Amino acid sequence: MSLTKYEFSQTASAFFEIPTEMAMPLLPKPLQTLESHHGSSIFAVTAFDFTESMIGAYQEVVMSIIVPPLVRPSGEFPKSAFYPFVLATSTAESRVHALERWHLPHHTMDIAIDFSEKNGSLAVTVREGDAPIVDFTVTEHQWEDVNHLYQCNMKDDSGRYKVDIHMQGNFCEHEEERGSLTLHDHPMCAGLDPAEITDYPFRELWMKRGRQLFEKLETL
Amino acid sequence: MESPKKKVKELSATAAAHGFDDFDHSNFYSGSSDDAFCMLDPMDEWWGTRAYGAGYYQFGLPMQTAPLPTVDIRETLGNEVLKNLVNFSSYNYLGLSYRPEVIEAAVEATRKYGLGASGSPVLSGTMELHEELAEKLAKFKRKETALLFSTGYSVNLGVISGLMRPGDTVITDQYSHASVVDGIILSKARVSFFRHNKIDDLEKKLKRATGKKLVVVEGVYSMDGDLPVLPEIVDLCKRYDARIMIDEAHSAFIFGENGRGVAEHFGLEDEIDIHMGTFSKSLGGIGGFVAGSFKLTNYLRAFARSRVFSCALPPGVTAGISKALDIAIDEPELRKRLWENVHFAQNKLREAGVDIGDSESQVIPVMIRDDKHIFSYAEQLIHEGVYLNPVRFPAVGKHRSRFRISISAGHTNEQLERGCDILINVMQRHGLCR
Repeated sequence: MSLTKYEFSQTASAFFEIPTEMAMPLLPKPLQTLESHHGSSIFAVTAFDFTESMIGAYQEVVMSIIVPPLVRPSGEFPKSAFYPFVLATSTAESRVHALERWHLPHHTMDIAIDFSEKNGSLAVTVREGDAPIVDFTVTEHQWEDVNHLYQCNMKDDSGRYKVDIHMQGNFCEHEEERGSLTLHDHPMCAGLDPAEITDYPFRELWMKRGRQLFEKLETL
Repeated sequence: MESPKKKVKELSATAAAHGFDDFDHSNFYSGSSDDAFCMLDPMDEWWGTRAYGAGYYQFGLPMQTAPLPTVDIRETLGNEVLKNLVNFSSYNYLGLSYRPEVIEAAVEATRKYGLGASGSPVLSGTMELHEELAEKLAKFKRKETALLFSTGYSVNLGVISGLMRPGDTVITDQYSHASVVDGIILSKARVSFFRHNKIDDLEKKLKRATGKKLVVVEGVYSMDGDLPVLPEIVDLCKRYDARIMIDEAHSAFIFGENGRGVAEHFGLEDEIDIHMGTFSKSLGGIGGFVAGSFKLTNYLRAFARSRVFSCALPPGVTAGISKALDIAIDEPELRKRLWENVHFAQNKLREAGVDIGDSESQVIPVMIRDDKHIFSYAEQLIHEGVYLNPVRFPAVGKHRSRFRISISAGHTNEQLERGCDILINVMQRHGLCR
């Protein structure tokens, strides 16, 4: 199995409820949203602080909609599946790499992410120059070492793709609703109405000192 | 024969290799494939190699006695009968399911009318017994009429879907029961969940609501044991022209000076448009009711499809409920005893430093906040003398796992003392209280 490895120091992810009618236009056919409640789908914001990879150190923010996983007989079953509808990174090299290798849709400008850890909380601020994009916080629970499998779906003009991603590292998650979200008026947030998205995460995930392993890209 | 426990240990290693360690039912809810059975194999593999032995076997353990204050249970993993456990799990809040008069009434009605009603309540299923119970309930609730349903679930399903239509909006607390959510789904109305008891969020949702508006809240939230902020909610509903419905499944016959529920407790009975209650909790039977104006129930008789297309309550159950209602009305000392028991248990647990959240009722959560270990704590409790169900994701939020104590008027001081002591000992052993 050939794996592409990305080492990170911090990864924060938060899940928010978004009206299904707002989430569906962000997905390509035939993907459907996975609803947390009737009428409410799941919008996820994830930020990575990569320390080592084939294109060096960089930062990345990913905005996704959670979707049902693709199930194959005898296949390994993932923890969850998602469709990233927009990503941004801190370097042009990482952006080109992700576009070419993984067909991931990118905002074309460099961004910067500040990870500020204090008293069991991690505040993440994403900006493009002076323009704020998104701020969110996650808080800690019990830490444990994990190896989780996720399914990432992609689509561009060349076709539909899927890749299995292993997330390994020190991890915690909870649904204590202690975090927060602020979406700013920025092109990355186009299609998202902050008034209709919960401003606190119903689930908070935080990982430290880990690695992200991409398996081989599959064409669907 | 290989012991189930040994087999489970071996299978757990397989499960870990499959990455099933932190899975739960929600992982198998939805998957994309061409096969409608696509999720059966993954879930079966998780269930067989991991879930059952890890603790899921603890759900639905067969009881060998009535839901008395102490019970005998068969623990299915070791196939062992555990006797005289303090029962902190049953909804039998007033201890009425096993009262001799209630049983006698049920037996007598069964002899007279037979096992079932043999028809829908709108066709041939209505008996004099049903009419009597409905009238008695309406009088008790001080409403014009009451309508009986065969389950509490079907009340919410039928009332909400019977009244609301596509283009309307139903706004409900995020912790509302699944039957409320399913009623909304069936109605095809737009749904909006407001953050638990957060009045500013409810207002935000009311401002954006379209069509007819209905706000649904519970009298006692069943996983946390707290109450709605009803005066503020009623006030907002009036300001935004929204109708309000209260689900008193866990509060009817318990709250209020006369036991009429949380609406009575807050002095807001006349401000609530739809009063819902169940017979399966305090009255110890099964079924539910909606109480309100004649016009409301007359409309629901036609459009509450969960009632129209279900068989009416069995005559034995109806007669038993009717007797249980008489007792609940005639013996206010039962409520008094229940509240003494509630305060005893809450004080004892709080003094020991057990986190019981914001419980204001006979439903007392014991917060564990550890999805991984709660099954093991539950296993210890059941083997040390307390029957208490673990509650974990997705019934509550991830790592908001808890035990949910149900206190009964039937518990004696000795039983409460013993049950709480065992619980505190297990909690202390794991550093979860002082």
